[in-house]
Amino acid sequence: MRSDFFASSKGSAQKIFDPRTKLLMVVTISTVVMADSGGGWMSVLCWILTFVPLALFLIERKWKAALIYFCVYWGATLMQLYLLPLTTGVVNFLLVAMSFFSVRFMPGIAMASYLVNTTTVSEFMGAMERMRVPQSLSIPLSVVFRFFPTVSEEYTAIGDAMRMRGIRFGGRKPAKMIEYRLVPLLVSCVKIGDELSAAALTRGLGAPIRRTNVCEIGIKPQDVFTMAVCAAMILLFIFEKI
Amino acid sequence: MIKLTNVSFTYTGGREDAGVRNINLTIRPGEVVLVCGESGCGKTTLTRMVNGLIPHFYEGELTGTIYVGAKDVAKSELYDLARTVGSVFQNPRSQFFNVDTTSELAFGCENLGIAEDEILTRVRKTVADLSISHLLDRSIFELSDGEKQKIACGSVSVLGPDIYVLDEPTSNLDFETIAALRRVLSFWKATGKTILVAEHRLHFMKGIADRVIFMREGEIRETHEGAEFFALPPRYFEERGLRIPSLDRLPAAETAEADLPSDPIRIEKMRVSLRGEPILNIPALEIPSGGIIAVIGANGAGKTTFARSLCGLVSGDRSVVTFRGRALNAKKRLSVCYLVMQDVNHQLFTESVLDEVLLSMSVEDETRADETLLSLDLSAFREDHPMALSGGQKQRVAIASALVSEREILVFDEPTSGLDLVHMRETARNIAALKRNGVTSFVVTHDPEFILACCTHVIRIEAGEISGNYPLDSSGVKNLTAFFRHDESMAERT
Repeated sequence: MRSDFFASSKGSAQKIFDPRTKLLMVVTISTVVMADSGGGWMSVLCWILTFVPLALFLIERKWKAALIYFCVYWGATLMQLYLLPLTTGVVNFLLVAMSFFSVRFMPGIAMASYLVNTTTVSEFMGAMERMRVPQSLSIPLSVVFRFFPTVSEEYTAIGDAMRMRGIRFGGRKPAKMIEYRLVPLLVSCVKIGDELSAAALTRGLGAPIRRTNVCEIGIKPQDVFTMAVCAAMILLFIFEKI
Repeated sequence: MIKLTNVSFTYTGGREDAGVRNINLTIRPGEVVLVCGESGCGKTTLTRMVNGLIPHFYEGELTGTIYVGAKDVAKSELYDLARTVGSVFQNPRSQFFNVDTTSELAFGCENLGIAEDEILTRVRKTVADLSISHLLDRSIFELSDGEKQKIACGSVSVLGPDIYVLDEPTSNLDFETIAALRRVLSFWKATGKTILVAEHRLHFMKGIADRVIFMREGEIRETHEGAEFFALPPRYFEERGLRIPSLDRLPAAETAEADLPSDPIRIEKMRVSLRGEPILNIPALEIPSGGIIAVIGANGAGKTTFARSLCGLVSGDRSVVTFRGRALNAKKRLSVCYLVMQDVNHQLFTESVLDEVLLSMSVEDETRADETLLSLDLSAFREDHPMALSGGQKQRVAIASALVSEREILVFDEPTSGLDLVHMRETARNIAALKRNGVTSFVVTHDPEFILACCTHVIRIEAGEISGNYPLDSSGVKNLTAFFRHDESMAERT
């Protein structure tokens, strides 16, 4: 995953949707697309849904994210249609696994990336509070939310270090690639997480009072409309499963 | 305002941080106290006992009593203490909970449930007081370290606490930003706040610190009046492993032998842009090879980008570096140059020091690996896990892996940030030893003491362009000290 895909959001950008709407969209797209059993009008709906993240990326001018999503999703779809029938054995198995993963998970991942990309931590916390999510859940979730861009920053730095040492697929010890990347990543994430919590606690995070929030979030007409569409989708989906 | 009585603390749970013993300290309201001492002397622990992270976040055994204002720290909750004590930490990367500056400034007040209108008023007042209004509504990830530290100060200032605690706040800062931090401290002092600063760098506290405490091995060993402390002779600082108390006291460097620029390194067409904005533009530059080149300039001037481009890590880089008769494009530089990162943890991958070195060899050769480890004083740690080593040792492991892969140019990104005198000199020795091996080193740094300890040449980058390129002979040393002093006095005036 390129770092652009999980980059952070600036504070001042004009927001189309409320964070709650975006959360619901993530849930809808990931469940409906992931569980699509194939065939029938439900599949057509699914197919339409896969364009939603693409459209949103384009509206937000996230060209690179849009391109990555478009290539991975359509690449995998075309592979399923044209390449799979031509292969057999292990190659076939690997291709099936890869394309299945991409087609089923990519729309959900892309939608989640859109959520992280266009929502500030503060807005996210605000949304959680409005939904009356208890602090014991909302604080850890916001920390996770805060962590995406940091992890991607660290990941890029470690990638640089690996490139300099010539550790890459096709180099020596390819089997150790994942270990080499994950060990330093975990070490630095644990350290940053620790320092981050300490800094947040000294500024009163976790006080047993209702937090205030200065960012402007609120349900607008487009939110109501989108939420209704999402709810309808999920109902249709349940109806179809029964 | 702050009163510690017979306080001792030892960390539990496998932390290596140093504890403290028998601390008795009373700080009056409005007093500014500087705590100094070598790494591991317990000064960070002292700050944590005042802001309540000890005993509420860091676990361990605490005896004695700590009072902050009227609050008993051990019996108060952290969110309660947050109203009284504001903290600024060392690492600008890990003290922001939000990813945009405005939310970050409002964050503390939001946590304490202060009304939205009131918060916005306070934020506006704070950015005016600290002259940081231009930093509003920015993404944290776009800011330089200096700007991040200003936001960190702002975000505690918004809460208006009576006490400020700063733990090594200048580690990653250039001189101009340090001077800006000094102005913030003066402002807080002038408004009657009580301030506790733990630091290695001392010079910026001159004229602000009312009292200076020297710690060693977890104990308070000496207490000085501020003015008296800064007038102590150089020998005093040297003996205690402390950094210079004033930039006027930069030690004279042994004049570097004039390097023969007969076979210079030539850098051409080094142009890097980020989102369409040019951040580095070096049409042509010649530097003598075989020396230690200091790369100086303000936070955010493009020094790190220069380091990454030199090592071939910038994508779409069309620059060419001519070195020892070879013209190297970015891709070739990946195997000729090596970057020792500021956070060296990013580049240690394996389970033992030996494996780390073997991994970098094109053909694994244990004998040669052992020779390299011996030359870098690492033989004793051959089988140890790299993550278990100290900072200076980790740095040497990274150097070892660069040497065995026959790198001819090593680039260090701020290798001495946050180091005390002893460890700074260790790093200077590590890098000086490379020169004897015929390796050319580039060192991105804000540390004049370090430059004078080992560098032979200086290049200065401002706003993405080269604005200085001189050998560190006697006139070069004058140039350099003028740069650091000018930087400081300029910022002082604005």
